[in-house]
Amino acid sequence: MIKITNLEKFYRTEEVETIALNKLSMHVDTGEFVAIMGPSGCGKSTLLNILGMLDDPDEGSYVFNDIEVAHFNERKRADLRKHNIGFVFQSFNLIDELTVFENVELPLIYTGVSAAERVKRVEEVLDKMQIMHRRNHYPQQLSGGQQQRVAIARAVVNKPKLILADEPTGNLDSSNGNDVMELLTDLNEQGTTIIMVTHSEHDARYSHRIIRLLDGQTVMENIMV
Amino acid sequence: MLKNYFKTAWRSFWKHRSTGFINIAGLSVGMAAAVLIFIWVHNEFTFDDDQPDAENVYRITSHLAISKNETWVWESAPYQLGLEAKKTMPEVVAVTRVLPFHWEPMYLSINNEFFKEENAAYIDESWFNVFKTNFVSGNAIAFNQNPFSIILSESKAKKYFANQDAVGKIIRIDSANYQVQAVVKDAPANSSFKFDLFIPIAARQADAQEKKNDMSWGNFSYITFLKFKPGTNIKQATENLKSIIKPHRDKNDNLNITLRNLKAMHFESDLQNSGLVHAEKKVVYIFVILGALLLIIACINYVNLTTARASLRAKEVSIKKIVGAGRGHLFNQFVAESAVISVLALVLTVIIVSAALPSFNSFTNRNFSLTTGSAYLWLIMIGTLLLTIILNSIYPAVLLSSFKPLSAFRGGSVMKIKDTSLRKGLVVLQFTFSIFLIIGVITIYKQLSFVQSQNPGYDRSQIMSFNLSWKLLKGMKDDQKAAVKSTLKQAILQEPFVNGVSLVGMESIQSNGSFSSGSADWEGRPKDFNPSITYFNVDGDYNKLVNINFTSGRWFFPGSVDKRNVIINETAAKQFNLHKPYVGQRFIAQGDTGVVVGVVKDFNFQSMHAKITPVVFKLDQQWSSNYLVKVAPHKQAQAIARMESIWKQNFPDQPFSYQFLDQEFDKIYREDAKASTLMSGFAVVAIIISCLGLFGLAAFTAEQRGKEIGIRKVLGASIAGLVSLLSVEFVVLVLVALVIAAPLAYWLMNLWLQNFAYRISMQWWIFMAAGFVAVLIAFATVGLQTIKAAMANPVKSLRSE
Repeated sequence: MIKITNLEKFYRTEEVETIALNKLSMHVDTGEFVAIMGPSGCGKSTLLNILGMLDDPDEGSYVFNDIEVAHFNERKRADLRKHNIGFVFQSFNLIDELTVFENVELPLIYTGVSAAERVKRVEEVLDKMQIMHRRNHYPQQLSGGQQQRVAIARAVVNKPKLILADEPTGNLDSSNGNDVMELLTDLNEQGTTIIMVTHSEHDARYSHRIIRLLDGQTVMENIMV
Repeated sequence: MLKNYFKTAWRSFWKHRSTGFINIAGLSVGMAAAVLIFIWVHNEFTFDDDQPDAENVYRITSHLAISKNETWVWESAPYQLGLEAKKTMPEVVAVTRVLPFHWEPMYLSINNEFFKEENAAYIDESWFNVFKTNFVSGNAIAFNQNPFSIILSESKAKKYFANQDAVGKIIRIDSANYQVQAVVKDAPANSSFKFDLFIPIAARQADAQEKKNDMSWGNFSYITFLKFKPGTNIKQATENLKSIIKPHRDKNDNLNITLRNLKAMHFESDLQNSGLVHAEKKVVYIFVILGALLLIIACINYVNLTTARASLRAKEVSIKKIVGAGRGHLFNQFVAESAVISVLALVLTVIIVSAALPSFNSFTNRNFSLTTGSAYLWLIMIGTLLLTIILNSIYPAVLLSSFKPLSAFRGGSVMKIKDTSLRKGLVVLQFTFSIFLIIGVITIYKQLSFVQSQNPGYDRSQIMSFNLSWKLLKGMKDDQKAAVKSTLKQAILQEPFVNGVSLVGMESIQSNGSFSSGSADWEGRPKDFNPSITYFNVDGDYNKLVNINFTSGRWFFPGSVDKRNVIINETAAKQFNLHKPYVGQRFIAQGDTGVVVGVVKDFNFQSMHAKITPVVFKLDQQWSSNYLVKVAPHKQAQAIARMESIWKQNFPDQPFSYQFLDQEFDKIYREDAKASTLMSGFAVVAIIISCLGLFGLAAFTAEQRGKEIGIRKVLGASIAGLVSLLSVEFVVLVLVALVIAAPLAYWLMNLWLQNFAYRISMQWWIFMAAGFVAVLIAFATVGLQTIKAAMANPVKSLRSE
C-alpha cells in the first residue's frame, strides 16, 4: 500500500538546517498494523505527516496505492487524503464548537455525502464506538477516553483504507488507553491498515511490526509474533 | 452545506460574542453613517429625475456682463419673453413661469391668526401641465380660473386646518382673501421646487402697477421653463430666444441668453442668487468620500480582529482541512461568518438610521423617510451590506483558509510579520482619519470663536430691529410716508425701556452686501475709477445706538446741517486715495455735494468671510424702513410687548416680526456652525470605531504575548514596565498616524480657511492637541487590556504552552 524510497525532509531557519528525514526507505502492506518508535526529534512525526500527505518531502519517492504522490500539489493531496486516510491524534483535536455528532459528520460533509446517508453512517459508527448516548454533547463535556473514541469515530466514518495514529493513548490513563488500542486492533482485523507513532512499548505490542527511527533513519525493524 | 456554514458561523459568533459585539457595534455605527450619507448623496444626484420629459424641459438663463471681469447670471427672465416664445417658436410645447416669494416671508392670516410661510410661489396656469404634481384633493382648473386662489401642500394643509378639508377655506394675505382650491402632495426630497403654497401670477398682476412692472422687458423676475418637442435643436432655440429679446434691449447692452436643462439645474454654481434648491457638486463628492471612508474604517475593525484571532482558529481550520475540507469550503465558511456579523450589524444600522432620521432631516433640510416610496433606500442599505461583506470577508477568508494544516499544529507562529504589519497599517489608516477630523474640529471651532469674539467695531447688544414693509405704505405720497415713519419713531421713543431709536435704510448693521458703483466723486478721482461703495443711509440717532469709533472728525449734527455731508470708513479713505486731512474734503455722493465730516474705524459690516470694503454714511430717510431699537438691559420682554402693541394699533393686518442684531449676527455663520457640527459628528464616529478596533487588537496582543509577558515577569519585570512595553506599540501607531494626518489636515483646513477674509492661522499647538487627544484615547483604550495582561499570573501563561 505504501512504499517510500530515499525520503528526505529538511527544516531550515535562517542559519541552521535540520535534517528530519535522511534517505528513509520503508514499505507498509495493506492490512498491516505498524508501530513507529523512537526518541523525541527522531523524525517520527515528520514521517507521519508526510505519510498523511499533510506535508511534502523535499527529496525521494512516496508511492501510495501505486500512485506517486511526492510531487502532488496541495489540492491533489487533499483530495487523495480525504477519501483514503483517517487521523487520530494524541490531543484528540476535536472542534470545540461542534457536537459529537457534528464532529464525526464533518468528513462526510466535505466528501459530499447526502444528509440522510450522513445521519445513517454517523449513527452507525457512534454506536460501534459506544458513545451514541453522547451524540449531542460538546467535546469539553466528555472524558479523555470518550473524546478519543469520538476522534476515532471521526477517523473511520469515511471508511478509510489507512489510519494514521499519532500517540493515540498519550493523553489517556492506562485503562482508557487499552480500550483505544482494542478499538484500533478491531479496526485492523476488519481490514484497515494502521500506522501508529508511539512512545509506549506496551502499545507497540498491539502491532504486527515495529519500525525504530533514529536521526531520520530506520535503525531496526521488529516483527511481532 | 449552506445551512452548515451558517450554523458554524452563528456558533463561532456566539462563542466569541465579546469580539462579535465589538465588530457589530463598530460596523453598525460606520454603516449607519455611510447609509445616511449615501441617502443624501443619492438624493442630490437624482434631482428632478422623476419629472416626466425632464430631458425636454429647459430654463431660460440670463447673463448680463456688467464689466469686463464681472457677469451677473440670473435664473430668471422677463415675463414677456415666455409669452413671445410660446407665440412665435413652434418647437415650444409649453411655457411656464414661477416667481418664488423668497425676498421676504409671506404672512398668512387664518382665523385671525398669523402664520409665516417661507416657501411660497406665484405660478402661471401652465405650471401643473409641465411639472408633475399629485393632487390630494381639488384640482388646478378652479385654481387657474380664479386669480385669488391658493394651493397648499398636504403638510401645510394639515398644519393650518388640522383634519378638516382645506379646500374651500379662506386665507387672508395682506388685505386680500384667497380661497384654497386644492391640496397637493409635498414635494419629494429630490425636487428643486420645495413650495408649500402656490398663488396664481394673475393675483399679483391684478394690481395695475405690478402688471406694468412685470410687462417691462427690463424686469428679470420670472423663472421661465420651456418644454420643447423631443429632438429640438436647443442651440437653434437659444438663437430664437435671443432674437425675440434683442429688439427690446439697448443696442450696446451685453445680455446673453442660454438654456439650461432641468436636470442640470441642481448643481448650478454661477447664479447670483436662487429661489430654488441648489447644491455644490464638490460638497457632494466630499461626502461620497467621507461615507466610503467611514465604511472602510469600520470594516478595518472586522478584518483586523478576525485576522488577529486567526491563530486561535488555526486548530479548527487545520482539523477541518485534515478531515477533508478544501480551501473553498473554508473560504465560504468565513464569508458566511462575515455575512452573519454584517447582517446583524445591518439590523442595528436600521435602528440607528431610523432613530437619527428626524435630526438628519432637519439638518439637511430634506424630507427622507424609511417607509414611503423608498425602494432606493433599501437598495442603498443592501448595497452597503454587500459592500461591507465583501470588504470584510475577502482578506480574512483568503488568509484563514490558506493555513497549511501542519503549521497550525506546530505552534502559534501562523501569523508572521507580513500580516501584523498589514494590520498595523490599517490601524494607522484609521487613526490618520480620526486625527485629521480632530484637527478639523479644532480648527473650525477656533475660527468660529475667533469670528464671534472679534470686536466688530460697533455695539450690537440689546438692539432689536424690525422692518416696515413697503406694502404698508403703498399708495402714499412721499411726505405722507415720511410722516408715518416719523410718527412711529416718536411713539416708540416715548416707551419706557427704550434707550434709543434709529430709522435706517439697510436691513440691519450687517448690510446684505448691496454695492453700488459710479455714484461718488471727489478731488483727484481718476476718471475710470468707480469703486463699489456700500451706502449706509442713516438718521442722526444711529450712532447713539451702535457707537462706532472715529479716527477723525465727528458724527452728523442733529437737524439738517449735515444733509449733504458724508462719513466714510478708513478703507474708503485709503482706497479713494483722498487728500489729507480727510475731514473737510469735498465729496459728492449720489448727487449731493458735501464734505467728509468724519472717518470711522473699519468695522465688519458683513460676515468675516468678506473683506471690509468702502462704506459711506449719509443722512437719508427717503428709502429707510428699518427701525433699530436699543432696549434697556433685562427689559427685553417688556419692550417687545410694548412694541407689539404699538405695531398692532398702526398695522393690524400685518404681524409684528423682529430680530435682535446678536441673533442676526449668529445667523450669518449658520453654515459654518453646521460644518462644525458635521465635522464633530464624523470625528466622534471615526474615533468610536477606531477605538473599538484598537481595543480588540490590544486584547488580542495581550493574549498572544502572554508567554512573553510570563517569562519577563518571572525574570523580574515590573507591572509598570510591562504596561508600557505593551502600550508603546500602539502609541507609536497613533504617532505615525499623526505624522501622516498633520500635513494633510494643514493643507485641507487651510483651503477651508481661505473662505474667510479674516482668519486664524493653523498653529502648531492644534496638531499637538489633536495628537495628544488621540494618544490619550488610544492609551485609555489599550491601557485596561495591558494592565490585565501584566497582572496575570505567569504560571498560567507558561503552563498553557
